[in-house]
Amino acid sequence: MWLEVVLIIIVFLSVAILGNSRLKTIIQLFALQSVVLSTTPLLIYPSFHAIIIAIVIAILKGVLMPVLLFWAIRHVSIRREVQPLIGYATTLLLGGVLIGVAFLISSKLDLPDKGISNLLVPCAFSVIMIGFLLLVSRFKAITQIIGYLVMENGIFLFALLLLEKTPLLVEMGILLDIFVGVLVMGIVVNHINQEFGSASTINLINLRE
Amino acid sequence: MVLLSTAFVHLMTMAAFWSGPHNTQFNPFLGFDALSQLVLTITSVLFFIIAIYLCGFLKEKGRSNNVLIACLLCLLSSMTLVALSRHMGLLWIAIEATALLCAPLINYYRTPQGIEATWKYLLISSLGIAFSLLGTLFLAVSATTLKTVFLPDILNNAVFLSPSWLKLSIIFLLVGYGTKMGLAPMHTWKPDAYGEAPGPMGALMSGAISSVVFLAVFRVCQITFHAHLQAFISPVLILLGILSLGLAAIFIMNQKDFNRMLAYSSIEHMGILVLGIGLGGGAVWASIFHLINNAFAKGLIFLVAGNLFQVFHTKKIADIQGVMHKLPLTGAFLIVGFIVLSGFPPFGIFYSELLILKQALVTHQYMAVFFYCLFLAVIFFGFSKVILNMALGTPSEHVAKSTKKDDFLMTMPLVILTVILLGTGVFVWASLYHFIDEASMLLGG
Repeated sequence: MWLEVVLIIIVFLSVAILGNSRLKTIIQLFALQSVVLSTTPLLIYPSFHAIIIAIVIAILKGVLMPVLLFWAIRHVSIRREVQPLIGYATTLLLGGVLIGVAFLISSKLDLPDKGISNLLVPCAFSVIMIGFLLLVSRFKAITQIIGYLVMENGIFLFALLLLEKTPLLVEMGILLDIFVGVLVMGIVVNHINQEFGSASTINLINLRE
Repeated sequence: MVLLSTAFVHLMTMAAFWSGPHNTQFNPFLGFDALSQLVLTITSVLFFIIAIYLCGFLKEKGRSNNVLIACLLCLLSSMTLVALSRHMGLLWIAIEATALLCAPLINYYRTPQGIEATWKYLLISSLGIAFSLLGTLFLAVSATTLKTVFLPDILNNAVFLSPSWLKLSIIFLLVGYGTKMGLAPMHTWKPDAYGEAPGPMGALMSGAISSVVFLAVFRVCQITFHAHLQAFISPVLILLGILSLGLAAIFIMNQKDFNRMLAYSSIEHMGILVLGIGLGGGAVWASIFHLINNAFAKGLIFLVAGNLFQVFHTKKIADIQGVMHKLPLTGAFLIVGFIVLSGFPPFGIFYSELLILKQALVTHQYMAVFFYCLFLAVIFFGFSKVILNMALGTPSEHVAKSTKKDDFLMTMPLVILTVILLGTGVFVWASLYHFIDEASMLLGG
């Protein structure tokens, strides 16, 4: 019961991220989503292992990552997304369509493990697709990173299906890699700022055929 | 110095493996079979040669290279991990590590273009990494009855995997690792990254890292073949291969930047590799043979590109003229690299391309045959026009004045690479021959 509520909140939060233009709000929404996400392992398998994973996720994605992102936007001093590739209304509509597609796909696949809520897989797919949409439809480097992180949240949601089966090592590797990835991206964002005067990827058009 | 000695130790360890049996399992996570040993050898030899080259290359810059060297060493260890991993999760972690460690190499010159290339590379390859992670998770879901994703377990029980999840997983893994390898629709980072990276880094990326990622794609195909889904994956692989070839053919014509042209050539060869596996049978053997020759040939030509950049200070093809005149040795190796890469008869690439063509004819894939021949011919034409202009011709005024000559440390590696290419392509060593046989058996070749 609680699991379903949490899953739906996560999907709603990703839609809210999709419809927002202020970067500060987007980062806050992302932090909230990550904190909500960190409760899911506890709801599925209440065990010691799950508690550790929940704590790691909450600290890493709910606290450290937003702090890093806030630091980046203060450094680059940008507040709003520039005119996105696709308008906000259209992206929201597309987001809705994608959620529908996610449910459609998951109804076609047979789940090997019936024990967990059958909302888990469609919700994971929806979050992944919304993250992807965010990544491809925005220009600011920071928003693209957030899109990537939302996508990773969705992947984590899906990985919960396998919490019992895959060893801890793999999960830790996943978390660590995401973290390093964002760190490197952050450094590059800084460089983009120094060289071009704004962290917008619109300016990155020199290399073309 | 540290770099060179580590590379040497790695090479020696590698050589020690050769004397042992071909299938070893150190622990559940690490072990190797014939193909991973082959890939590891390519990586190790190429890294050693590039380490020699870098001693000459880095000497001329008046800056600290500590970060670069640290990255290179970490890259070597993560490439080794890819080759040795026997667990799909570990394989993924190692490939992600190589992807991240390449970023500082691309951004070596810190120019605006370099940063742009690095950003594109990071964004696209992290997407690829995310897709392959998703694919790995799908694989784990399809293997819920096994409760592991260790490669031997999956291969032995591939028939019992849930087919719908397995198909989904194969598609995601192919797209993900294909992005890292630079196959056609997902290749967009490659010309930028190779175009901006310095020559030796390009050699490392197109020679060693591409081979390592090819190993990952090969593993995916292995799982598919064991699950009797050849009919599902073969058309996808053939399509990807032909697309890569076609795209390379279009962009190699009238290319203005030498390094970018080499990047498209790399896309072309990756396409041929995938095409080979897709056709199956004897083409798998050809693919592995092609892998070895391509890795060393790419190393050779990118190092030549590095030499040219040091003397001419430009990558524009129009400004690089009369290499033979100015740098006789480098010029000679430029021609050698061109002959190997475009598949002239004496070298190995000609033989493997011919074998793949034969397999395509035998299996009646006439569409593939048509496009394969067409694109190869176009690529050959575009390539030869550019390279011959560069090698012959007369050097422009300001270049003629500079007194730079061929540097010993920077031509030695070229000599070694040519000798290796002769050994792997023209007079194929008998042990290598058996090794490729054994490796292609993994995919029923």
